Parts: sequence; structure tokens; C-alpha cells
Amino acid sequence: MIPALAAGFSGLAQIASALLLLLGLVFWIAGSWPLLGRGSYLTKLHYLGISDTLGSALMLLGLLLRFQREWPLLLLALLSLVVWNTIFGYVLAACSQAARRFPPAP
Amino acid sequence: MSRLILIALRMLIWLLLTADPDELNVVIGLAVSLALPLPRRVRSLTPAQLWRALAASLAAVPQAYGEAVQLLLHRKLEESVLHDEPVLPSGRPSSVLVFLDVFRITLTPFTIALGLDDGGRSYRVHHLVFEEDRR
Repeated sequence: MIPALAAGFSGLAQIASALLLLLGLVFWIAGSWPLLGRGSYLTKLHYLGISDTLGSALMLLGLLLRFQREWPLLLLALLSLVVWNTIFGYVLAACSQAARRFPPAP
Repeated sequence: MSRLILIALRMLIWLLLTADPDELNVVIGLAVSLALPLPRRVRSLTPAQLWRALAASLAAVPQAYGEAVQLLLHRKLEESVLHDEPVLPSGRPSSVLVFLDVFRITLTPFTIALGLDDGGRSYRVHHLVFEEDRR
């Protein structure tokens, strides 16, 4: 009974993992596509946040379900990815504000 | 409080990286966390402030996915505006709080923080809106 239950759970985890990986890929492509368009720099950064932070986080969640024995490294990757990608987006946005970077001379 | 958070973060990274709950390993991690330099001067941070900022950052994650779907479905309608968002605890906040606020604002696809303004009293935020919302 218990092995059958475990096998059922593992099968469910595999399906959920595949769905998460696929959804992450959709976010990647949908968020990266506007980068080729004519939007402003900051508008493109908004879309880039969707693909590189949210899409990649979904993929890592999918991998977490698939390779459960590697959870410490995958969790570390998930945390670093979400935090650094978001902060990197902020750095890129802040650096684009050239006029504001230096206070006017007194 | 800010220093404690920094040490706890270093310990977390060490433990996840080594994936070894052995006593010796924990001691080595603690020694390294304490040996690395800490900031000399930090602004005060109460546990209540930290808790509120952490909860807001965590709540931003599901909100970010909702906004991402919304943004991807309405591709042609958006326009960008700038607005200021006041820093929640008045006065100059602790760097941990600024970090969490910038994270919360930038994580959601509709908003990106551009920096602190007005002598540290508000964030400059770049905001995407749908055209129908602006009228």
C-alpha cells in the first residue's frame, strides 16, 4: 500500500514539475519577446523582470520537485536568483537615471 | 538587530551551500560568519518593523505572478509614469528596510524602484499603467 502511494505521489510530483518547467519557459519567452520591440528602456526592464525572475523561479521550483535530494542547493539557487535578479533590475533602472545620479552643485 | 540579520543570512547561505548539519560544520560556519567584517554603524531597526517589511515582501511574490499574467495578456495598453512612494517608517530607515522595500517594489512587474529621493523620505517608482486606468 505504502510503496504504491509513494509511487503515486512521485508520479504526481513529476507531472507538477513538468508543468512548472513549462510555465517557466512560457514566462521566459513571453517576457523576453518585448525586448526586441520599440518600448522604452524601463518598460523593457518591467518585462525582463517577468522572464528572468519569475520565470526562472518557476523553473527552479519544478527542479525542486524533480530532484528532491538536492534541495539545499536548489533552495540556495532559488533564493539567490530571486533576490539578485530583482536587485540587479533595480540597479539597471537606477543607473539609467543619469541626471539624478549626481546632486546639483551648490 | 541589523547585524544579527546579517550573521543569520551568512549562516543560512553556509548551511545551504554545505548541506551538512554536522556540529563541526556549524561551528566553522558560525566562526566564518562572525569573522567577516560587519558594518560599523547601523540605523536602529525594531523586530516589528522587520516583521512588517518581511511579510510585505513575501506577500509581493504571489502578487508579482498575478501582475505578470495581467501584463502579458494586455500587451498593447500600457504607458509608463513616475510617482513617489513614501518610506513607511518616517525618517531615514535602516538599510535592511530599504533593501526589503526596494525588493518588494521591483519584484512586482508593474513597478520598479529607481532610488531614494527627497533626502531619504520617498522612493522614486517607475509604474506601468493601462491606458484606461489613467483617464
